Order: sequence, then C-alpha cells, then structure tokens
Amino acid sequence: MASKLNPTFSEQLKKYGSVNFNACYNCGTCTAICSLSTTDDSFPREMVRLSTLGLEDEIKKSLKPWECYYCGECTTHCPQTANPGELMMSLRRWLTAKYDWTGLSGLFYKYLPAFLTTMVLVFAGVLFFANSVNWELERLLHLGHMFERTAIATVFVVIFIPNLLRMWYFTVVKAGVKVPFKTYFTALNDLFVHMFTQKRARDCDGNHFRWLEHMILVFAYLALLFTTVFLNWFSTENLFVIVLGYLESAFIFIITADFVKDRIQKKQTLTKNSKPSDWFFVIWLMLMGLTAFFVRLFIDFNILETSKWLYIIHLTVLMQWALIIVPFGKWTHFLYRSFAMYFAKIKSVKK
Amino acid sequence: MKERIGVYICHCGGNISDYVDVERVRQAVENDKGVALAKTTVFACSDSNQNDMVEDIKKHNLDGVIVASCSPKLHLVTFRNVTERGDLNKYTYVHTNIREQASWAHSNDKNGATEKAIHLVKAAIAKSRYAEPLYPNQFEAEKTIAVIGAGISGMKVAATLSDKNTQVILIEKEIRVGGHAATWGSLAMSDERGDDLSRRIYSDLLQRDNVTILTGSEVISSKGSIGNFTLKVRKRPYQAGDPVETMEFNVGSVVVATGFDSYLPKEGEFGFLSYENVITLPDFKHLIDSFSGKFLEYKGKRVSRIAYIYCVGSRQIDGENKYCSRYCCTSVIHAAIQAKKKFNNIYNFHFNRGIRTYGKQELLYAESLQQGDIYLQSFEDAPPQVYAENGITKVKVKDVLTKNKELEVEADLVVLVTGMVPRTDNSIGTLFKLPKGRDKFFNEVHMKLRPVETVIDGVTIAGACQGPKNIVESVNSALSAATKSYSYISKGMLETEPIVAEVNAELCTWCGKCAEACPFDAIEQKKINGKQVAVVNNSVCKGCGMCAPVCPPDAIHLVNYSSEEIMSMIDALV
Repeated sequence: MASKLNPTFSEQLKKYGSVNFNACYNCGTCTAICSLSTTDDSFPREMVRLSTLGLEDEIKKSLKPWECYYCGECTTHCPQTANPGELMMSLRRWLTAKYDWTGLSGLFYKYLPAFLTTMVLVFAGVLFFANSVNWELERLLHLGHMFERTAIATVFVVIFIPNLLRMWYFTVVKAGVKVPFKTYFTALNDLFVHMFTQKRARDCDGNHFRWLEHMILVFAYLALLFTTVFLNWFSTENLFVIVLGYLESAFIFIITADFVKDRIQKKQTLTKNSKPSDWFFVIWLMLMGLTAFFVRLFIDFNILETSKWLYIIHLTVLMQWALIIVPFGKWTHFLYRSFAMYFAKIKSVKK
Repeated sequence: MKERIGVYICHCGGNISDYVDVERVRQAVENDKGVALAKTTVFACSDSNQNDMVEDIKKHNLDGVIVASCSPKLHLVTFRNVTERGDLNKYTYVHTNIREQASWAHSNDKNGATEKAIHLVKAAIAKSRYAEPLYPNQFEAEKTIAVIGAGISGMKVAATLSDKNTQVILIEKEIRVGGHAATWGSLAMSDERGDDLSRRIYSDLLQRDNVTILTGSEVISSKGSIGNFTLKVRKRPYQAGDPVETMEFNVGSVVVATGFDSYLPKEGEFGFLSYENVITLPDFKHLIDSFSGKFLEYKGKRVSRIAYIYCVGSRQIDGENKYCSRYCCTSVIHAAIQAKKKFNNIYNFHFNRGIRTYGKQELLYAESLQQGDIYLQSFEDAPPQVYAENGITKVKVKDVLTKNKELEVEADLVVLVTGMVPRTDNSIGTLFKLPKGRDKFFNEVHMKLRPVETVIDGVTIAGACQGPKNIVESVNSALSAATKSYSYISKGMLETEPIVAEVNAELCTWCGKCAEACPFDAIEQKKINGKQVAVVNNSVCKGCGMCAPVCPPDAIHLVNYSSEEIMSMIDALV
C-alpha cells in the first residue's frame, strides 16, 4: 500500500519550531557528520525526508528523534542551511504532543497564549489557596508539602504512565516489533543507565562539559526532589539534610543560570532557536532552585514569617512547574529519552 | 622532375630511433636518384631544426623536401610551412610516417622496422620527384547571407550580421516571427516575458535597411556552394486568390536556425490522452500564463496538487531519444514556482530522475525547495506510474530518497515534462544535405573547436536545431554562427585547398559513376565542345578521392596523387 504524501505537515511542524528543513536536497551531509548515526540506524536525513513528505505514521513509529542529542554539527555543515538539528528538536516536541493523551502538550507548544493563561490561572489558584488559609505560614508550608507529594503521584499515574504506554504502542507495537516478554526485563539496565547518566550525550562531538553539567543538574534535581518530599527539608532540624538541600538547590540554580546564559548568548547551534517551552523549562527550574534556597535561608534566619511573599513565589513556581511544565512541557524529555533508549534496546533484540 | 631533394629522418626523441636504426635509413637513401641531402635529426619539428631546413633549402638549392617522422595529422602543415619559408611551393613537400607505421607498429622487430622505414622513405622520394607546385583555388563570394528560421536565434543572427553591414535575408516559414519563445509568458531566471523578448528583437530588425524579412516563406531549392548559393524561396499567399510568389536569392553563406519541436507523448504514455488531466509542459505553461483567478482551474476543475513527471521523451532507455533535453528541469521548476506564487493552495510534487538545474539556475531549485515543493526521485528502470482510482488520478513511485518506499500523490493535474526533439519537417536538412548526430539534430563539425560549422562549407547552424538549448545558449550559438558565416564572405574572395579531383575531358565519356561515388555532390555533367563530360566544382570538392578508382577509362584523378606518383611509390615499396 503506497503511502500518501502530506505537504501540509511542514506547516504544522513550523508551529513546533522547525526552521527551513524544506530546503533539504538530500545530500546526506548531516547523516555523515553525525557522531551518533550508524549505518543500521542512520539520521537525521531520514527524519528530514519523512518530515518533508509528511509521513506522520512513519515519524510516530520512529525513535530516532530521541536518539539525537543535538550537538548541532549537522546544522553547522548543512549546505542548504536546512537546519536538521532544529528539525530533530521540533520532532521531539511534536512527538511529545502525540504521546500526550490529553492533547494539552500540543496546545501549549502551538499556542503560547493558552500556556500563559494556564500559568496565570495556577498563580491565581495559589493566591486563592493562601487566602483561604489566612496566609498562615505554618499551614502554607504543611499544605505545600502535601501538595507536592500528591501532585507527583497524580502526574505519574494520570499522565506519565498512559503517555509512556502510548509511546510504547506507537514505537514498538505499531512498528511491528515482537520480542520475548523477558526482553522487557533484560533491557531495563539500558533504561536506568540512560535515565541517570545520559551517557549517549557524551558521544556527541565536543559536548563533554555540557553533558557533565546536565548530569549534575539531573542528580541535583532528583536529590532535591527527594530531600524536600521525603526528608521534608523545610521542616527538618537535621543539619546534614539542611546542608544537603542548600547544596542541591545551589547546584540547580548555578547550572541552570549557565544554561540560560547560553540561550541568551546564542553561541552554540543548540541555543540559537530557543522556543518558549525551552525558556520556561530552564528558567522555572532555576527559579525553583533559587526560591527553595532562599526559603530555607529565610527559615534559618527566622525571617520567613515576615517575608511570606517569598514562600508564595516559591509555591507558585513549584505548582506551575509540577502542574504544567512537568506533565506537558519539556520536562518529559527526561522520561522519553531514556525510554526511547529502552525501546531501542528491545527493538534491537528482534534481530 | 625533382633532382635536388632534401631528406630528413627524425629520431622523435627515442620514439623512432629506439626501434628504427635511423642512421641505416639515412645511408640507404642518401645515394638514391634525386637525393641531394640526407640528414638525421633528434626532433625534426623543433624550431632549430626548422631553421636549419630553411637554410639547407637555400644553401643546397633544394627543389623538394621530405621529412620521415610522425603522422601527417601532427606535422604535415608544420613542414609545408617550413618549405614555404624556404621559397618553395608548399605543396611540393612530401611527408612520410615512420613512427606510427614503423617504430610503434614493429617495436618487437627492430630490423624489420628499419627495413620498412627504408622502403617508406624510398616511396616518399619516388613521390617527391613528381610533386608539382599547386596554388589554392580563389573565387569571389556573394556578400549576402541567408538566415533560415526567425525564432530568437535566427533574429539574433540577422541583427548581428546587419551590424556588420551585411545584407541579410531572414526567411520564416510561419506567418509570424519569434518561434516558440514568442508564445511564452514569464521566462525562467530573467522573468521577462517571451513575447516581449521576441517583439523587442523583431522591432529592432524592422528598423534596419539591410535586413529583408520574409514570413510565410520556405526555401524550396538550393544550388551552388560556399560563396555562391542560389536559393529559391516560395512565399505563401496571405489570402486565398493571391498568387504564390517565388523568389531567387544569391547568397554567400547560409545560417540554419530552424529550431525544435516539443516532444509529444504517445497515447497512454504516463496516462497521456487516457486521463484528461494529464498534459504536457508547454500546455501547462500556456495554462498558467493565461489563466487568471485566485485558484487555478483546468477544464473547469480546481487544481491544488500538481504532479510533474520529468524526462518524458528524454533519456529514454527503449525509445530513440537517449539525450537529456537540458532545459526542462529549469523550465518546469520555474513554472511550478510561478504557479505557486500566482494561485492559492498549490502543492507541487516533482517526480524526477535527478535535477539538472545547472549554473545559476540552481537558485530556482533552491527557491522551489524553500517554498515547500516535494521532490521524489526514481531511476529509469522504475518510472512513476500514473493511474486512476474512483475517478481520481494518482501518481505513485518508489522513491530512492526514502529507501525505495512506495509513495503516492492524488494529483489534480499531471504535467508531463516533455523535452525537445528535432523538427519533423526536415526539408532544410535534406536541401543542404546537413548531417545529423545520433540524436537526429543537425551536427557540427567538431563539438568543441568548430561548434557552429557543418561539413557543408558555408552553412552554419544556430540555436536548438543543433540540439536542445535554452534561450541563453541559443543566443550564444546564434552570435557565433553569425560571426562564422560572416567570416566566409568578409574578404570578398574565398580560397580552397588545391588538392581536388581533376577530369581529363578527352578521356571522359560521362558514365556518371564518379558523380554517384562523390559524397559532396561536387561532380556535374556538362557539355564541353559538344561532348558530355564530368566537371568538378573546385569549391565543393574535398579531395577525398572516392571518384578516382571507380572511373572505367581512368579519366579522373586527384591532384597531387596522380597515377604516376602512386605507381612509382608502389614500385619503391615492393
């Protein structure tokens, strides 16, 4: 059965941030220069081609957009300035939207006003909630902590599990991959290695420092999450936990500040075409680290009672982060990237 | 009879002397009858040896010169000129080839090679004894030039010749001038209109006194040769009842610029004539040039998706047209860009076999990609297929750029990108006996060095009658054909080589066999002193010698290759 072409797909993809990929004349320089592409598993030209033709089903089946870690070499060397690197980036956004059963991801990527409205609504919700407890710090802190735990569990069950199942369905089941059930266990090693080390990014040319920064950030973020949720950092008296929290939050805002600086300077290919989703992700993560750091500092200096506004800001950032950016924004790449490597491992067993 | 012949035997570095004992050759001939001087030389063609030869001719009072060296193709003219510098008639020079014929051919047999070289030189000496001085044929040339075909090329030829103060007769078969180009709107790259371009050159020609434009006119016969052609031209009546006019012109040279036909696909070729929305590139171009409105329509139906199938009638595997038509890639991409800009909701799909938008035209390809045109590529063994399902015309192909995946487009319009083919009306080619290449277009003498001349002296070719060309290339060739044709007649006098066939009228009994054998139609029957004999037209004869061996009474021979000369050479060889 011949596949039908869809020339309007490129217009759709533009809303996800693609730039000029139509200019591609299929020379394959991008694939040749890519340090991650292999003979059996070659990209990005193939993805550029599928996008040009608008073969959505083929793209949905593919894990390749996740296999790219955006060193930007392809874009630098493209003779047609077709920007294959940014195309891969926009395909990741498009796939994120396709995996998301609620459709909110797609809505937020495509319509910035919808995203901003939701952010404002969350802020209003925080104010409403604070008002309903009469701005009592003790209750605010307690309920904030409760909220954090509930939000994580809810997002995990309602959003992440269904979306990961959808990803599995598109990329493994629909791609016609049949493997023994035990493969799902034997391949788990790959899932965790990639989830916690992003080791594939290390093979990207000239990317070692960024990979290291990113890995420290991931660890700091996960550790801070653990420290606040399970060790109850804001309420603890344990000196070790307190210092640990300071360190983690400091790492977060220092590294993210560096990332924000890169995106402002636009010196690397990777940082030249930042979309709102990129900005919000990295800035909100920075604000998270920063506000958490100062909230604890204010607690230690015993001035939070008189500066409740700080906690309100922290709570707003936290809620916007947990309710919007984590489930529907760029945060999901943490899961999709590592699961893509997991599914790729499973697919490779087929042979 | 030559009695003081100088013989030079060349080493050619070692090319000859490694296998032929050149000193032995010298000794073998130095005492031959008529030989005044025999020398060996390392490089006969070197400047110093050439100067020595000129000196020898004067000092030793030589009356004939022979060089035994390489092929005459390489250095015949060189040594003829040396002879001339020594104040001898250059046609008395005799060349003999002991490199290709002796040393290279017999490198495993030095003694045999040397023996053969000795015989070859002795044969040359025998010929040299009889060599007569010859002089080029000179005759007056008519200062008018005829240009056949008034397309862009023909009109540019006429304008160029007119600038050189030459009388021009511009002959066009159609009622109007401008050829194909006059029917186009916007043209690729310059975005000028074809009709404007043609009108501009035409109105310029109308201002000129020395250009006669004959439309609705055909050349019906041609007589004569370079310098003096007589063309008969028939002008069709404008209205019924008008008399048919026939005119005669004497011209010195002819430029043929008869152009091309567009390839017409066969019925069923990519759905042509089978489905009503399958059309050719010229039809499509006329459609988008003339259609106005926000949305393109064809036969009352709205057009959004257009499939272009490239190389229809070009680069055929089984068909006759093996060549690439060169202009079509650029032309169709330009048309696709034009369609997308002019009408709403147009999507272009290019089913190609590799894009050849060479040179600056590459910019059009880039523009088309930028605007979102989709290019699908296949090779000649798996062309796209056009078929219909439920009344919808579809095109499918296995795309080599997508791992040979089968892809399909539902097309509102299928455009067959047809190339250029030679004119079906070949009357001009027949009239002038113009040779054709494998592509059936008119052929030049030498692709690189004589690109607008034909083997028929005095007839040049311009534009797409020579092979597919775009307007830029047509005008380039037009300017060069104009200059070449002008150079034939510019001096007023023409010279041709004296080595031609000669008829002994006393022996000739006119049987016509020589005329039949002549590939250039240089021999005519004429009555001289009450007797029918063969007469050679010296300006047409190329001296090929085809006529000489077929003559029963041996009445025709080639100057410089008389029976005496040839027989004496054979005697020396055996």
